[in-house]
Amino acid sequence: MRQEMARWGMVIDLDKCVGCQACTIACKEENNIPHGSPQEQKRRTEIYWNKVIAVSNGKYPTVSIDFIPMPCMHCNNAPCVTVCPAKATYRREDGIIMQDFRRCIGCKYCIVACPYGARNFNYKEPEEEEYHRPDPPPSRSQRGSWPFPHRVHGVVEKCTFCFHRIDQAIKEGRKVGDEVVPACVEACPTKARTFGDLDDPNSQVSQLLASRGWTRLREGMGTEPKVFYLPK
Amino acid sequence: MTRRTFLKLSALAGAAFAAARIIKHLAIRSTIPVQASGENTINDKWVATSCLNCPTRCATRVRVADGKAVKITGNPLSQVSEGENCPRAHIGLQVLYDPERINSPLKRTNPAKGRTIDPKWVPVSWEQALSEVCDRLKLLRERHQPQKLLLLRGLNTISDEDMICRFADAYGTPNVISADALENEAEKSGGWMADGNYIHSAYDLARTNYILAFGASILESDTPLARNLRMWGKIRRERPNRARVVVIDPRYSVTAAKADRWIPINPGTDGALAMAIANVIISERLYDAKFIRNWTSGFDKYKELTLNYYSPERVGVITGIHANTIREIAREFAVTRPAIAWRGRGATSWPKGSYNSYAIFCLNALVGSIDVPGGVIYQEKPEYRSMPKPVEDSIAREGKAKPRLDLRKTSRFPAAEVVTNQVADSILNDSPYPVEVAIGFNSNFNMSAPGTWRWDGALEKVPYYVHIAPFVSEMAEYADIILPACTFLEEWSYDHTLPGSGCAEVRIKQPVVEPLGDVKCITDIVFEITRRLGGTVAQSFTPLGKDTEGFVRYRTKTLIPWEEFREKGVWVGAAYQYYKYDRIFNTPSKKFEFYSSNLETRLKETGNGVHDRLACLPHHEDVEFQGERDEYPLVLLTYQPLLNVNNGSQNYPWAQEIFLVMHGVGWTNFAEINSRTAEALGIRDGNMVWLESPFGRIKVRARVFHGIHPQAVSIASGQGHYADGRWQKGVGVNPNQIIGVDYDHISGQAVFLNTRVKVYKA
Amino acid sequence: MKANFEPIEGKSRSYSALVMILAILSLSGFVSFIISYIEGHQMFGSSNVIPWGMPIVMAIYLIGLSAGLHILAFLIYMMRQEQYREVIRVAVFLAIILIFGAMVFIALDLGRPEKFWRLFMLFYLNNMSSMFAINAIFYTAYFISAVIYLISLFLNTKRFSMIMGMVAFGWAMLTHAGTGAIFGFISAREAWFSPLSPFEFIFAALASSLALLIVLLVIIYKFTNRRLSQELITSLGGLVKGLLLGLLLLMLVGELTHIYSPARDATMFMLAGPFSWLFWVFFVGMGIIVPLVILFHPRAKRSVPGVVIASVLVVIGIFVKRYYLVIPGLAYPQHYYPGKIEGVWGATGSFPITPAETVLSLGIVALLGLLFILGLKYLELLPTKEAAEEVPKEVIEEGGEASEPVKA
Repeated sequence: MRQEMARWGMVIDLDKCVGCQACTIACKEENNIPHGSPQEQKRRTEIYWNKVIAVSNGKYPTVSIDFIPMPCMHCNNAPCVTVCPAKATYRREDGIIMQDFRRCIGCKYCIVACPYGARNFNYKEPEEEEYHRPDPPPSRSQRGSWPFPHRVHGVVEKCTFCFHRIDQAIKEGRKVGDEVVPACVEACPTKARTFGDLDDPNSQVSQLLASRGWTRLREGMGTEPKVFYLPK
Repeated sequence: MTRRTFLKLSALAGAAFAAARIIKHLAIRSTIPVQASGENTINDKWVATSCLNCPTRCATRVRVADGKAVKITGNPLSQVSEGENCPRAHIGLQVLYDPERINSPLKRTNPAKGRTIDPKWVPVSWEQALSEVCDRLKLLRERHQPQKLLLLRGLNTISDEDMICRFADAYGTPNVISADALENEAEKSGGWMADGNYIHSAYDLARTNYILAFGASILESDTPLARNLRMWGKIRRERPNRARVVVIDPRYSVTAAKADRWIPINPGTDGALAMAIANVIISERLYDAKFIRNWTSGFDKYKELTLNYYSPERVGVITGIHANTIREIAREFAVTRPAIAWRGRGATSWPKGSYNSYAIFCLNALVGSIDVPGGVIYQEKPEYRSMPKPVEDSIAREGKAKPRLDLRKTSRFPAAEVVTNQVADSILNDSPYPVEVAIGFNSNFNMSAPGTWRWDGALEKVPYYVHIAPFVSEMAEYADIILPACTFLEEWSYDHTLPGSGCAEVRIKQPVVEPLGDVKCITDIVFEITRRLGGTVAQSFTPLGKDTEGFVRYRTKTLIPWEEFREKGVWVGAAYQYYKYDRIFNTPSKKFEFYSSNLETRLKETGNGVHDRLACLPHHEDVEFQGERDEYPLVLLTYQPLLNVNNGSQNYPWAQEIFLVMHGVGWTNFAEINSRTAEALGIRDGNMVWLESPFGRIKVRARVFHGIHPQAVSIASGQGHYADGRWQKGVGVNPNQIIGVDYDHISGQAVFLNTRVKVYKA
Repeated sequence: MKANFEPIEGKSRSYSALVMILAILSLSGFVSFIISYIEGHQMFGSSNVIPWGMPIVMAIYLIGLSAGLHILAFLIYMMRQEQYREVIRVAVFLAIILIFGAMVFIALDLGRPEKFWRLFMLFYLNNMSSMFAINAIFYTAYFISAVIYLISLFLNTKRFSMIMGMVAFGWAMLTHAGTGAIFGFISAREAWFSPLSPFEFIFAALASSLALLIVLLVIIYKFTNRRLSQELITSLGGLVKGLLLGLLLLMLVGELTHIYSPARDATMFMLAGPFSWLFWVFFVGMGIIVPLVILFHPRAKRSVPGVVIASVLVVIGIFVKRYYLVIPGLAYPQHYYPGKIEGVWGATGSFPITPAETVLSLGIVALLGLLFILGLKYLELLPTKEAAEEVPKEVIEEGGEASEPVKA
């Protein structure tokens, strides 16, 4: 199965996930995402490409709290793609919803339209020392629509399924889903997250999806997300 | 429209257009990326090293691009966690590039010392700093009082710790104090009472089928955390039979949230529950008779005790757990083999914590889970190349023979290996002798020990304090000299895994980048000091190599060739052998003891005598709280959330912004109060409240929560820093400020959980 | 047809003072924009929970005000309501200013305003399934047709004016329906998601724009010593009354539908949540009920002060409606997963009133005001004083053809 024609998806096992948030931190580390501050958290202008939410039910002593990691869902029927006027967000052939900073005009319509809160607006110029790295992933010649390392304020950003790793892997002939995976999948210590080609019946994700019942978030929205959740 | 109007409008339009162009120009400038030259070729390398953000010391690999560390990931060759890391490993980057790091030695110019007093640091050269420090050290030895040197250890690499201990030996001071008695000494002593091994227990997680966790934060803070996380995934979903996990804790911890069952228990009564479970197992004959018969002693006394005094009904009243539930759990535990009874800080950080620990540990023996696949296992130690004995002169010998400041292995703390928190009181009381010089290596007891005000007083009193760490922590504020140490990503060392995997594993630390600023590795500092001190002290160190790299190389020579070690990053010992019953019991009977002869001997040796027939048996005693119940109705419990970085600082925004996953917030901690309790007190979620103990009060935000016992209040530790650090200062509160001083006297473990508080709106 | 429109003199002290004040406010708005351009939108009250703020609220409000005014063209040419001919120029000019203002607001709300031109690369660089892109067609066509219509009015062409008037009206309706569709087509926001949204927006726009026109006419005629026909005001008031009733009906049907699941939670947040006092007191109470009471009262509806008060309340009320739709509408925490989402992820959004945003909004509104009064001075927009004094009675009583006004 040629990897260029893959349809990438992610499976998250909610039973294995322990809410450690290694995925959130590794994603920030990998993608050069600025960290927040107490004021920014209060004002909700922080940027998270991946977030882990805690959902509680019940009362003492029969409480239950679940941890739900939420990257961008890379929906097949993405509402953000529908509403972006400048074609800054679009679906690539392999199913990844891309974000082109050059085209983004910062109208924030996509943030309004996303049912998963996956998108973030850059509300300020991040300080140089916070995160400036010499190696933007990937290097500029391959970058295409990758953000400049020096982020500007006023554009929207979100999880990219680490497309830079995927493209690099395909170029080098390595197997995505086994050898090469997005940073969050790599960092998860319980191996709750899996990534791979949904169209390949032998991939790990396909096997996991066949192993037990899965759900997706806000199925009623009709977005057809490509991040699947295996329940506890 | 007239011509004039048209012209005016055109001019306006022209001006607007021009303005837009200017703005666009400005905008374009800001979007031009700042790039290093030759950006298509980035010098990229991966360095194998290990982490030090908690005592687990996981193996990692760090990617360095153009001389800057940019990514940390796991080392697949590590067996302990199968190459996985916990989130704190990634925070290593922020530890390395912490903006509040010190770049040169600092000298205090303000003689006044105190919590809010500005030391007025002045940068000095290493030469000056070291010569001043060594002058003081020489003076002490000249006066034949080397014992008045106090060495305090926080979280350091194992090689640094070996160096520090050897230095103490050569110099002649018995006062090397680690932070261990703030963590889990009572866990160790409980195990020691049974099998003679004073160690943190290791569990063969991959093969276990049942975990009964008593106050154990398996998925948040129990070491080795990364291993617990990896094994969790494995035993819950990667095997044909899923391990069952039951958590017993007054608090709905992350572990409880992921477990199959959470059983809230009255704070401090875990020992009673363990005895009741034993009662059920024994009375229903569900125990492993073969193991009991062949490899244990004292079973009859134990059996008599449990059957006569720990019926599920009686214990149900003590613990607040229904007797039927106790029976259910006991039966499940006994028949789902192999099963593990895991004792954590929540069960052992109590005045009788050793006995709680002993009682819980005995459950493992009851079901035959000692040194079997899926049970309790005994960590192998790596055989480093042994160092020659330190050269002792008479000064050193005399010094080491003096009594210790922490009163370990005295009648007060008969079995203790170290009694960290006692040192503050000893200093304040000048007993058994005053301290002249203290050196702290990455220590921060002014934040992390109960009764922080005593450490403030003690540090104020010590005439000369040297602090060695990469940043200025709360303890460092009292220093006369600060020697900046490098962070763990800039130094050479060897670290081995603490108990967890069974088989030994050694990890290298090698610098991933050149040290930032004028800093030195701790081992280099020690080498330098010994050289300056000369004499026997220097002689003890000369065979070990000239510097840190040399020392690490020296010690690991017998394990693995140096180049291979540098490339692989880990050395893994032989596969673990089970059923070593002939070797693992360091007891007089050479068996697992339900009646501890080791403790009996020790009590007699330290002049305690054995008056109480229960003294050497596992049992439960009602908790003596600090504070009367009528005045202080709630019990203050503290816990360590996963993102609490254990190095004395919390100045790491990646950790701070998502600090409490269960509550979905960061940049804070709060007092978690049961919803019904809060309602009765008129407190709503988000109100500011005062938490008052007999020792003081703190103002904190209330979090009304269903996941906490109605008689307890719970606060996450790790916040409340007041030392400089833009991401930590003033964030949250430190509960240790109002927790009183108490000990588990057998082990010297500082008690964190028996302070009572009252809560009222601010 | 004889030209009977003239510019105002604009020489009075109060006129100059007004120009000065508006100019200063505009300048401060511009400065505020520059600051936010350099510092980023952290200067505004928006966040990742409520990404749209005052600029978008003002934009949709102004579009409504603008588009609604063209109903007069429809009434004049199709319904033969000749009495509105005297105010049609002012109305169209006002509409052009307002749509310009709306587009300025939209451009300034963008994170990267210098890229605003990307909104107009229709079919080439634009994703035409986006309502923003479709609206770009509508707004541009509307703006152009309104300008051409105004020019045709200046040139006094009869038939061409009528055609352009209807064209402008058509584009105006599409424009504002499109604005409503921006919100109505977003299924993620359950309180917004509704096919009625375009129509609600149109009714609200028509009501508010006519109300604004009433208020402005009364003020301008007063300040320029023109006699305002009470029947004109009353008939405009009657229009507003009918439109308010239509709006009320649409909203009733819309909200009731949403109260039945599955949008119930979000709708109850809007109707009974922490911010609902804004909705009930300032919009429903002050913006619809009180004006309706006034406009139904037999004496009040004929008195100019009564209609003016009702109009002022409608203008404010519809603004509150726009604000309430956008900002509390976005504050509703999205339910990603069943259960209570803890902490910041499940918290209701908050929107602080920030000085930068307020000054910017006021500044642009001031700029529009400035352009408007400059237009009054340099363009022939208002009926001549003589012509304004008498309204052809035959038209009102008989509904007959427009005839020459009787010159005093």
